[in-house]
Amino acid sequence: MAFDSHSQRDANGSYTFSSRPRPVENRSKYREPPSEQMQNYGNIMYDRRVVRGNTYAQHIIPTMVPPDSAETQRQQEIRRRAIARKRAREQFRSGTPEALQGRKHIDVQTELYLEELSDVIVAADIECQTDAFLDKPATPLFIPAKSGKDVETQIEEGELFDFDLEVQPLLEVLVGKTIEQSLEEVMEEEELASLRAQQRAFRELRKKELAEVHQLQEQERRRTEEKGRRIAQQKEALKQEREVAEKIAARAYTQQYLADLLPTVLTSLRNHGYFYDPVEKDIETNFLPWLVVEVNNSLERRYTARAMLDTIIHDVAQKRLEGFKEPETQPANPETQ
Amino acid sequence: MAASLIDPSRAPVAFGRRAVPQLFEELQQRPEAARRQRALNSLCDLMHNPERVYQTVTGGFLEQVKVLFQDEDADVRTKTCDLLHVLTSHSVGRQALLSSSLLPPLSQLLDDPSSSCRRSVHRVLTRLTLLPAGADALLTLVPKLMLKLRQEKEEEEVQALILSTLSSCSYQDPRPALANDGVSLLGHILSHRSTNIRREAADALMALSVCRDGKEQVCEQNLLPVLVGLLQDEDLEVQVNAVGVIMFTVTITTGKQQCLDLDVLPVLLDFVSKKKEEEEEEQDEERRRRRKALVLYSLRALTALAEAPGGRHLLLEQLPVLEARTESEEDQDIRRSAQDAVHVITWTP
Repeated sequence: MAFDSHSQRDANGSYTFSSRPRPVENRSKYREPPSEQMQNYGNIMYDRRVVRGNTYAQHIIPTMVPPDSAETQRQQEIRRRAIARKRAREQFRSGTPEALQGRKHIDVQTELYLEELSDVIVAADIECQTDAFLDKPATPLFIPAKSGKDVETQIEEGELFDFDLEVQPLLEVLVGKTIEQSLEEVMEEEELASLRAQQRAFRELRKKELAEVHQLQEQERRRTEEKGRRIAQQKEALKQEREVAEKIAARAYTQQYLADLLPTVLTSLRNHGYFYDPVEKDIETNFLPWLVVEVNNSLERRYTARAMLDTIIHDVAQKRLEGFKEPETQPANPETQ
Repeated sequence: MAASLIDPSRAPVAFGRRAVPQLFEELQQRPEAARRQRALNSLCDLMHNPERVYQTVTGGFLEQVKVLFQDEDADVRTKTCDLLHVLTSHSVGRQALLSSSLLPPLSQLLDDPSSSCRRSVHRVLTRLTLLPAGADALLTLVPKLMLKLRQEKEEEEVQALILSTLSSCSYQDPRPALANDGVSLLGHILSHRSTNIRREAADALMALSVCRDGKEQVCEQNLLPVLVGLLQDEDLEVQVNAVGVIMFTVTITTGKQQCLDLDVLPVLLDFVSKKKEEEEEEQDEERRRRRKALVLYSLRALTALAEAPGGRHLLLEQLPVLEARTESEEDQDIRRSAQDAVHVITWTP
């Protein structure tokens, strides 16, 4: 079945339970609860379990209390004692003896004046009806009797309302506001004018200082230019001086270097034979080669002669060798075989 | 009920918070020209109150103004520009005008056939440039304005307005004006017969000469003689502005040379020296303030000129005049400037 009940643990730890009201279900104690709830929902008017009628004198059916033996025993005892007490009381009271056989006891009135005892209540019907309302006549005008004195009064022209007096505050406000507004505007204009004048003064001062700045800038520029020029000039001068010094040094050095150049040159030339004695040269160039050639020639003749001699000797030797070899080989050959 | 109006030139105004929206709704319904003019008149009156300005701006009614710009009737357009003029007198209005996209249609109205409409447009632009952000926004219009000046078809009042717009924009950023050959244009205008125009032209020239290019152009185009002539002008403002231009120009060397050649020192010294009538003038706050600017600028110009040897030579002779200024002057700024001048004159390396 759908559970409409909620039970939960709260944040504090307390336990809450809530559930929607639902009618008690029509089921037997020992049966499984049916799945649907609505089937067994019946009209409460026709439910047998609901108590009907007057409940004042009803016996309250004790609920199914689990049998507690001591409790039940005590109750039974109380009941027995109550019955016993009632019986005992009845025994002591004497009641009317019973009627004889064939007779009946009847109640009879014994008072002087008999009353009719009946259950019928005498009732009478009375009707009552209100009359329809009649139209009420108009009430007459109630004019009270005249009492007191007659007095008149009349309001003259200027008494209730004096325009000049009344208009005074209005005029004051109007004129005052207008003048106030115009004063404000004039003051605003004046403020603006003074602001503008201040601006102008500031601007003039600024222009003047701008010119000063420009002038100082120009001054700086001129000074740096001048400095640059002077430095360049100095550099030029220094360079020139250095050049001059170098030239002088070079000159001195060259002089010194070339001092003994001339003798050296002469010496080397002389060494290289550029200064020559013509006769000597002539002898050298002409005479000596011829001499050498002649010597060569004579020596060659001598060599030729010697060579020829050598050749002759060689030939002779050769021939002799051959001549010696032949006989050698001949005897040799048989020796080897 | 609506038969008799108290003021026939103005539309009836609703009460309290409904005033401005109701007038704008009426304008939106495009009634005939006379009614539009009346509604615009009433709106102009209302806009003097800053709260209404705020209401107009936050209620998004400025979009309607754009529609009114294209109106056929010239008076309506003029009145719309007057409305904007009153609107820009308040900071909220100026900012709203800048942030809305009304500037391009407004600048188109510069070429409007009606001259009163153009005048109103120029008034609006002049007021707008009082705000630095406004000057920034209008820098793109500078070439167009200069073109208008060159054509010289406008009346004097409009020319003065254009010049003041140009000078405010050029204080913000002088480059557009310089790029459009502003210096020569202003040089022509310097010799105009009207005092207002001379004053505004000298002011614009001062704005241009803050930049280095401007100074060089001023020297190149031989405007210094004209400026020295302006120093003798009757109007104090013109004198002040002319001295201002000179003050900026003498910071560069060519400027110094030219000014010394033009013999400008005595005039400046004349301005600086304390005179009897100046002591009488001290009663009048306004004149004293304006004279102060003159004295300041002259002192500054003298200081710059003292850096040139010729100038220093002349000024050394006139040193007592300047020292008189340092001693007995109550005004801190003038005293400081005079001390600077003396310092520079008596400087030895």
